Amino acid sequence: MLQGAIAGLAAGGLYAVLGVCLTLMSRLVRVVNFAQAATGMFGAFTAVWFVREIGLPIWLGSVLGVLVAGLLAAAIGFIAATWLSEASTTTRSAMTVGPLLLLISMSFILFGNKPQPFTPIIAGPAFAFGGVVISQVTVATVAMAIVTAIVVRIVLRRTRVGTQLRALSERPTTAELLGIRSRPLSIAVWFVTGVISAIAIMIVAPSQSNDATSLSMLIVPAAAAALLGGFRRLDLAVVGGVVLGVLGGLVAQIDEVALVRNFLPFLFIVVLLLWTQRKEVWDAAR
Amino acid sequence: MNKRASGTAALIAVAALTLAGCAGGDEGSGGEGAPIVVGSVNTISGPATFPEASLAAAAVFDAFNEAGGLDGRKIDYKTLDDKGDPATATASARELVGSDGAVALVGSASLIECEINAKYYEQEGILSMPGIGVDTGCFASDNISPANVGPFNDMTLTLQYGSEVLGLDDICILLEIAGSTRPTYQAAIDKWTEITGKEPKYVDDTVPYGASDYTPYIVKARDQGCKALAINPVEPDAIGQVKAANAQGWDDVTWLYLTSVYSENFADAIDNAGAGIYVPAEFYPFTDDNEINADWRELMEANDIPLTSFSQGGYLAAKYFIEVLEGIDGDITRESVSEALQSMEPIENPMVGTPYAFGTQNTAGWPIILKSGTNAWEKVAEDWLRIGE
Repeated sequence: MLQGAIAGLAAGGLYAVLGVCLTLMSRLVRVVNFAQAATGMFGAFTAVWFVREIGLPIWLGSVLGVLVAGLLAAAIGFIAATWLSEASTTTRSAMTVGPLLLLISMSFILFGNKPQPFTPIIAGPAFAFGGVVISQVTVATVAMAIVTAIVVRIVLRRTRVGTQLRALSERPTTAELLGIRSRPLSIAVWFVTGVISAIAIMIVAPSQSNDATSLSMLIVPAAAAALLGGFRRLDLAVVGGVVLGVLGGLVAQIDEVALVRNFLPFLFIVVLLLWTQRKEVWDAAR
Repeated sequence: MNKRASGTAALIAVAALTLAGCAGGDEGSGGEGAPIVVGSVNTISGPATFPEASLAAAAVFDAFNEAGGLDGRKIDYKTLDDKGDPATATASARELVGSDGAVALVGSASLIECEINAKYYEQEGILSMPGIGVDTGCFASDNISPANVGPFNDMTLTLQYGSEVLGLDDICILLEIAGSTRPTYQAAIDKWTEITGKEPKYVDDTVPYGASDYTPYIVKARDQGCKALAINPVEPDAIGQVKAANAQGWDDVTWLYLTSVYSENFADAIDNAGAGIYVPAEFYPFTDDNEINADWRELMEANDIPLTSFSQGGYLAAKYFIEVLEGIDGDITRESVSEALQSMEPIENPMVGTPYAFGTQNTAGWPIILKSGTNAWEKVAEDWLRIGE
């Protein structure tokens, strides 16, 4: 049982990283980015292509792939900031479904629909205690989730850029009147989250199914994780991701409920929504 | 263009149109010299795709046409894409059988088509020889007889190889179930139990298609003390499963997979194969450079078709069909083709272990292995492995 729970941690860390990115986007640029995982996937696939087809060294290919993901995210951000700057969060989020489908199709066209032969950067067990193995990927993703959340928090609280970003997200018009330039800042946020997702996906891709669809659809559990923090709180997004991963690992160990595992993120979302809406009265919540 | 030439061109066009009109009769029996219409329904786009089988069949028919066809009559091969969508699969079959007047279906490879269209084929009295039968329906209808072994007999074979040849106990079975395949897989497992008297340690049929992380399933199997895992995944999932075991440091597990993972791509992706990945290949192993596959290989390379088991299946289905076609005396109609197929003598081909006759099951696979660190498939036997031998 414990081994099962620990086994789910690697996935949990990944959900947490993506959940942190989603939370960040929702707070700072008013968007739920459905293409979050897809941009990371496309960057990771590009990296594989650079390494295998062009023959670049792995580190250089990876760096280029991460950059590609960042630029893709920035391009989507540019669209949002240029043509949808006044639109509602719902509209801006709906727009990102387009890039999600586009990126999946593009990767089919460019890289084929087979899984990519990733060369693992980190692989194998990290350490074991009491017969429970913890893989290196688990350590990496969980650490990355926590570090990302902490760094983002420090940047937002302690730096000038962070203050400007918070101002923009809370009072966009006032901030612009004060002379804070919104477009470059929001595009920078897109770029950074694109980079983070690509790094996270590159870490996990070698150790799991890595075709375009399954990687892009990581957005579902990531969204469930972000929902725990209401798309506002980074710490809860991390907790949500880890809990979801551990639950997935646990559920698979118990025959009676193993079937639930396939739609665990959806269950998680439904339960959270029911819980958060528990005090709402019908008329007000409608 | 001067006036006379354009007049001539118009005449030729009219004549061509008229002829085409004649040829487009029902049942594909357009008199002397009209093309023989052969169809196939394939999943070419969608979540899981099988494009190679019909491409390979098309290459065989093209070569046949170039060599003069059947006494000057060409084969008009029409392939349709069902997109893995039931409605499209239904419509595709009706288009080929109803309006194009196909005499038979050859070289199909679809995720869902057999089960959906079997009844319709029975009703229309048309036979189908899929290159690759995937779903349960391909192996359960009197009107459909694939060229390949299929995942169910392949499951029996891979279990038999694990327990009898490798001498493994504690084999656990993990199943990815799509549609109504569960009982058919159970029957395949029961067949193995019947032959060998051995039981699986446990069967887990909750393994999802296209999951991102299979670690929990692998951990469970390890905790239960499985020595070997027999699984029926599509290629991407298989890579995920092997990698999950690598990450857990589980290096002494034996993998008993099916032909779905037999590809160069899979071999490239797997560095650590535990105690070995074993597959009973449904056709003579194409990674082995051998005289047996030479003609197929040459044809595929000339047409830029990937060298996979799927293209072997499509190639064979088309070859069998041509052989049967050449043996027909008199008119080539749907009735005469169906009759010839049902009464055909078994055709031997070194690429398969069971001679092909319409309606008989193929029950032989060639055992191959992928060892750690080699990134290449190798043969582990010198002959076919047959169910129950």
